[in-house]
Amino acid sequence: MSEFIPIILDVSSYILILVLVALGLMIVFGMMGVINMAHGELFMIGAYVMVAAQSVGLPFLAGVILAPIVVGFLGLLIETALIRHIYLRPLDTILATWGLSIALKQLVVLTFGPESHSVPLPIDGSLELGTFSYPLYRLILMATSVLLIGGTFWLFTRTNFGLMARAVIARPDTAATLGIDTRRMYRWSFVIGTALAGLAGALVAPIISVDPQMGLGYLVPGFLSILVGGAGPLAGVLVGGTVIGGVNNLLAIWISPVAAMITVYIIAILIIRLKPEGLMGGRRAK
Amino acid sequence: MRSNLLALLVFAALAAAPILIGGYWTGQLTTYLVYGLLAMSLSLVWGYGGILCFGQAMFFGIGGYIMAVLTKGMILPELTSSYLGLIAAMAGSALFALALGYFLFAGRGISGAYLAIITLAMALVLERLMNNWYALGGYNGLLNVPPIKLTFFGASFELWDRMPTFYAVLAVVALVYLLVSWLLNSTYGLKLTANRTHPDRLASLGYNVLIIRLSVFALSAAIAGLAGAIFVTLDGFASPTLIGFTLSTEALIWVAIGGKEMLLAAFLGAILTRTAESWLSEIFGDYWILILGIAFMISVVLLPKGLLATPLEKLTQGKGRKSR
Repeated sequence: MSEFIPIILDVSSYILILVLVALGLMIVFGMMGVINMAHGELFMIGAYVMVAAQSVGLPFLAGVILAPIVVGFLGLLIETALIRHIYLRPLDTILATWGLSIALKQLVVLTFGPESHSVPLPIDGSLELGTFSYPLYRLILMATSVLLIGGTFWLFTRTNFGLMARAVIARPDTAATLGIDTRRMYRWSFVIGTALAGLAGALVAPIISVDPQMGLGYLVPGFLSILVGGAGPLAGVLVGGTVIGGVNNLLAIWISPVAAMITVYIIAILIIRLKPEGLMGGRRAK
Repeated sequence: MRSNLLALLVFAALAAAPILIGGYWTGQLTTYLVYGLLAMSLSLVWGYGGILCFGQAMFFGIGGYIMAVLTKGMILPELTSSYLGLIAAMAGSALFALALGYFLFAGRGISGAYLAIITLAMALVLERLMNNWYALGGYNGLLNVPPIKLTFFGASFELWDRMPTFYAVLAVVALVYLLVSWLLNSTYGLKLTANRTHPDRLASLGYNVLIIRLSVFALSAAIAGLAGAIFVTLDGFASPTLIGFTLSTEALIWVAIGGKEMLLAAFLGAILTRTAESWLSEIFGDYWILILGIAFMISVVLLPKGLLATPLEKLTQGKGRKSR
């Protein structure tokens, strides 16, 4: 039994990280119908903010605070300079944000170099319970992810902002007639989505290798999670993330990472094709 | 009429180019012509067919691998004819596209962003698969793919030297351009436009939208497959990068910068971007990719018809008459 617990914890931690990354994507996609292909790069920049913060001697916590601020500000910039002009052309947002992702990736290569960086674990210890032991930082990371995911759900289901946001998703024109500034809602949703990506990057940085190409490895599973779960209700991303992350990790352990990736992508493609509204239902493909 | 004149000028300029640019660049230009063919296939399916395919290199790679496997004699040692390889490459890519297209478009098919994500995921799957398919070379790919061997009336000729290879490839590209332009100007082109803009009305007029979509998807795949098949004979090897994600997105950038709704502009987009890349990357170094990314963004946001197509259309359009 005890040999299964680390596996379950590893899988859960992967799922939580995936959901955290996908959540930002989901807010932007569900809310504005914008496919942000640069989301993986924003996640990557969050990790690099942590690298930079550590290299000037700032503590880990400072990096955690700085990353969402820096990346959120970048998001504001991107929204103002790019996304705002192509809201009404959803397919073009895919291409424009793809161009953005290339540019951001190259900017990071030019600033930090193409090699990979590592961030030391802020907490070295591990939790020991009898024969069972697990790195403490991973446990804290999981707890933080749960809190962040819960917090985002709370924001979108229990606050005034969330109510307005959901009104804008459901009936943009009616919401605008009722005096909600939809453009402003879009802008802040985009900033929240990007700040979440930056925060996720900073938190995950110590347990992965940080390099300019890391974004894509999270972007595609993130999108598949959203589409598999359903882009309507926020809960869809939990279901999708669990399916994609869970199957991927378990198969990687039991068979091989290659077989896992191929199987998961094909399962995801099948689900998206046969149930385009996602497992949880919601917005139909435009 | 004017657009035909423009195409004639472009191909004449390309035919004259080797005199000016010398041997090395002629070799490079041959490769760019093949990329141009891939760009045309993407322009056909995306600009005219309305299907945003994020994995167009899938078909390029499939064509390339079929050509390599056949002409290396890995299946039947006696059957290594280049003609057979080219035909099989086109047919194989088209069949794969038909199967994938039927899966994606039949019934309440998917479109738009969902299609983009699925084709992107498919390209990643195929790339990973080829990286680990050891019978087909795995990560290292297939080496020593023989050059194309032309045989007519008993005489045979290997496309090995730069000049004959360049003109043979140019002839193929020009022929494909002619055929596709002719097709797009026929009633089929009209159906494609209707399918792109008002598929419901097209269906209510009694046309089978699925067949139109499948046919354009398969035709585009066949052209991409042909490009891939030619490509592996030029370099002499087929590798997983041909089938994958990077080439797919590069093709997307060429076509978006050139102009997806204009075959010639998409073709020129590929050639000019690649040429600019090999010249400017020496000057700008690592900044080149940054510039390319920004140019791509600008062309999508400000000139959705393409950086090249916008001026070219002005040039080819007579007074107030739309060319399409």
